[in-house]
Amino acid sequence: MIRRISNVNNIAVNSIAFSSQVQIGDSHEIYTNSRTLAVQREKELFFGREGNFNKYSTFLKPISFPPLTEPISILFHHKHKGIHVDHVYVTAISIASLLHIGTTSRIVAENRRKNIRQLEKGNNLLTNKT
Amino acid sequence: MIFEVVNWNVQVGTMDIGIISDSSIVLVGDTHTIQLASVLDTPADSLLIGPFVPVSPEG
Repeated sequence: MIRRISNVNNIAVNSIAFSSQVQIGDSHEIYTNSRTLAVQREKELFFGREGNFNKYSTFLKPISFPPLTEPISILFHHKHKGIHVDHVYVTAISIASLLHIGTTSRIVAENRRKNIRQLEKGNNLLTNKT
Repeated sequence: MIFEVVNWNVQVGTMDIGIISDSSIVLVGDTHTIQLASVLDTPADSLLIGPFVPVSPEG
């Protein structure tokens, strides 16, 4: 593929977190991955040694992607050699996400999250479920 | 079949984005392939009622 030049005059990003990335310039392959076990308790209580990803199928099940190569002939014509953006403003980039200025070949991003809530006593509405 | 793409001039003024999150991508440029996956799990049995015990202790 003939490469186009990405031309951005001004970038402003407030915050980046959790396996995220701001890439300025060309790259070949980018892989980001994030796993979260989100436990919310009714009371402020934190056990130091807890949380085992391997106990939950959320983190173990393989993700099936569609095939990367398909028998299609693709022809690109780049009439202009550039992509021009004046300003890029981003408040936040989070959880295996990406802001990429430039050409790349392959991007893979994976994020898995399990939420668990712990209540001390159920109210009337919640005890119906237990 | 030949899939033909003609890229003319791209001129953008301002991109104002709130949040890029959960395996998302903003790309100013070209790429061959993108694979994005996000798994979120909040089943009914993830609501635990009773004494506070550690969740899946390590080791």
